[in-house]
Amino acid sequence: MTLALNRRHLLFAGFTATLISAGAANAATPESKGRKLVVIILRGAMDGMAALPKIDDPDIRAHRASLIDPKAIALSDGFALHSAMPKLAAMYQLKEAAFVPAIAGPYRERSHFEAQDLLECGGVKSVSDDGWLNRALQKAPAAYSAVSIGPSQPLILRGASTRTSSWSPPVLPEASDDTLNRLMELYDGDPVLKASLSAAVGAEAVAGAMAGDKSMGGNRGGGPAQYTPQLQAAGKFLAQPEGPEIAVVSLEGWDTHTGQNGALQQRFTALDNGLDALRTQLGDTWKNTAVMAISEFGRTVRVNGGQGTDHGTGGLAILAGGAIKGGRILGDWPTLKAAALYENRDLTPAVDARSVFKGLLRDQLGWAANDLDGKIFADSAVAKPMGGLV
Amino acid sequence: MTQLQGAIAAIRFGMGARPGEIAAASSDARGWLKAQIKASAASIPDDGLLSTKQVYEARQEIQMENGMAGPPGAPGAQKGKPQKADMVLAPGVMPPGAAPGQPGDAKEMQRTVNQMIQRESREGLQKEVAVRGRHAASTDTPFAERWARFWANHFTVAARNAQIIGLVGPFEREAIRPNVFANFGTLLGASSFHPGMLVYLDAARSIGPSTEAAKRRDAGLNENLAREIMELHTLGVGSGYTQADIIEFAKALTGWTLGGPQTARLAGIRPNAADGKRQQRALREVAQEMRDEAGEAVFVEQLHEPGSRTVLGKTYAGAKGQASAILDDLVMSPATARHIATKLARHFVADHPPESAIKKIEATWMKSQADLSVIARAVVDMDEAWADQPVKFKQPEELLISVARATGVDSAFGKDQRAVYQSLAQQPFSAPSPAGWPDDTASWSGADAIKKRLEWANSVSRRMSRAMTPNEFLDRALGPIAGAKTRQAVSRAESAEQGFTLALMSPEFQRR
Repeated sequence: MTLALNRRHLLFAGFTATLISAGAANAATPESKGRKLVVIILRGAMDGMAALPKIDDPDIRAHRASLIDPKAIALSDGFALHSAMPKLAAMYQLKEAAFVPAIAGPYRERSHFEAQDLLECGGVKSVSDDGWLNRALQKAPAAYSAVSIGPSQPLILRGASTRTSSWSPPVLPEASDDTLNRLMELYDGDPVLKASLSAAVGAEAVAGAMAGDKSMGGNRGGGPAQYTPQLQAAGKFLAQPEGPEIAVVSLEGWDTHTGQNGALQQRFTALDNGLDALRTQLGDTWKNTAVMAISEFGRTVRVNGGQGTDHGTGGLAILAGGAIKGGRILGDWPTLKAAALYENRDLTPAVDARSVFKGLLRDQLGWAANDLDGKIFADSAVAKPMGGLV
Repeated sequence: MTQLQGAIAAIRFGMGARPGEIAAASSDARGWLKAQIKASAASIPDDGLLSTKQVYEARQEIQMENGMAGPPGAPGAQKGKPQKADMVLAPGVMPPGAAPGQPGDAKEMQRTVNQMIQRESREGLQKEVAVRGRHAASTDTPFAERWARFWANHFTVAARNAQIIGLVGPFEREAIRPNVFANFGTLLGASSFHPGMLVYLDAARSIGPSTEAAKRRDAGLNENLAREIMELHTLGVGSGYTQADIIEFAKALTGWTLGGPQTARLAGIRPNAADGKRQQRALREVAQEMRDEAGEAVFVEQLHEPGSRTVLGKTYAGAKGQASAILDDLVMSPATARHIATKLARHFVADHPPESAIKKIEATWMKSQADLSVIARAVVDMDEAWADQPVKFKQPEELLISVARATGVDSAFGKDQRAVYQSLAQQPFSAPSPAGWPDDTASWSGADAIKKRLEWANSVSRRMSRAMTPNEFLDRALGPIAGAKTRQAVSRAESAEQGFTLALMSPEFQRR
């Protein structure tokens, strides 16, 4: 079968036009209509205790006095937010942001690469070829779709479901519709390339409004300068009338082994501006949106020899968005007493990251609880969905 | 049939076929590959590229010209306190919080010097990218080139920031390329102790925690290099080593740093008024020696954690030789053999290689004591690597190089080369992490990636030589690998440009 594709046609047909082969789609359930989820992966392991120090913990200064921002903005429960993130602090005051300290997936080693893979595939020990958001799409309560921003699709969205796409702005002149149609035909016997090209055409249709908009970055590497354009692009996709329900953004550069304070000042500022830009871009959609930002793991409690920190365990999840029941610090604080540390170096995890993932899928987008255990997150019975996030 | 073997040799094992290469490789495809297994075949023309030492000398020169560095007492040097200039000179060894409250003009000068050094480094990197790209596009030992690039990616040192940009090219040319057909231990040692790796993975500033130097500076251990050597370069993640092993290994690695004036200070080697004259002179001589070693990897005992170390159950004594002894044992660990055999099989056979292929390389590793030339021959001799259909999805750099080989360098590498690399998300020497570039289809074939490849094909097809038809391109570049469907689509194209675009984007040309 040859699919004759026309960009203009797709622009009107909307994002899901790429998914013609996906079969009959359910209508979105009334209660989840218009709800959105943004998953931000902070790659390289953000130092959660630098972002949100528990400043009344009696041991924190002994471990890392030089890494605590003296101007941190007090929130509640003895926690303070790094002063480079005033907009996020304001969201917290408006009850549109919440934090989950001491969070970690089930993984307890300290390899970035394995930890990111496990975070994205939702596994406990072994890495699979598909991500939990892709498996979730296969079991979605309605015809949801997802987009990732950036030139390579992250593992979290890879897998059998073709209701995914990825986008970054064009740099070179685009090929003609005719060339596109011929190539689509040439790919008839090549499912991998065919699926990707179809999805790309669909994303391009939705992104049509962004063409020529030079401010929409996302393909110039993943450094802090790209946080805002990437989050803006995600906001633009989600705010489209037929846009996807889920967006995934990878923000890179959090591996602060040395000279951490300067590096984080820059990254926290960029993240703060990026979240604010996402909110502006989403407009009215913001009130129905839940944003979750999380790293593969946290960092060591003690400062290392180079005014940095090394790979740790318990980290921090940042929740934001109008849908979030904010103004709260969630979970438990394991304390920084030497005896309470994990392997005498890391923050001991108090919340399983999968509990937050499950809570958001169930309560924000209406996934059935029994699909979450086993099918989407294997061997995850210990991680009960965290209720009341939205 | 033999044409097909030649095409596989040139495309899967090589860097893409040049005109006539398929025919040349066809009479004895395996022999053609094995003849490339020699150190000289993996080298790259120097073409005025700087060595690590020259990179540091150039930096020093910029500082001297701006009156910022020099022997103690020289113009511009500030007595008795750390000079900021040294921080630029020795990027890996920036003392935290050094030299606060400098006068404004000194700060200004520092900024200017930093900018000059950065500009120089970036220009150097561009030259490296150009020379390396041209070399890959024209070499007649393309299997040696692929082999060298495999190891350069295995031991990734990426241009992550201004401090490392100048070192990535020299690292590959000095530590990797000369050793890719040597024993793996030689390659591992050359990589681990090269200034590029010491800076990239923070070992240059790791100090034995119980040394006087650590106490004086409130500085200490950095475990990054130790962890990545075990996780990425040798044993592989999940192979049984523990956090305690990493710490012990990191301690053994302390002392290995970069020479230069800052090293003498870090180690506390500084003449002091309280010392006797003779002692002062002796210390001055040591300090001078260290200054002369700028840009070299050195072992400084004062920074090394004293005592014996226990790694993976074995105890290692000594100081300077301690880390090397641990590396030697990592080379012959079965976990290392398994880890690297799997990566090689993934590179030459399939994303999910059959166990039989992994086992063959693994066995060769153990039997040859990790002799990489023997292992390269074993890879060539694996029937698993000779599947008729192209199986491996080309990475963007491979894609560009294979076009350049088929059509001539200039048509493939235009003025917009940097933008193209950026658009296709693979800037040379800039892998996103120490794990290097991913080597599987899924990482490179997402929706946006395919769209970017199409944009690229569309723009490069306009440049392609009019002396050649799209079908001739298929003959040169793919030979018997181009299938009937692709040939038909290319023949029926409405223009030569469209024909080239379809040929470049064909499933066969996108893979190797």
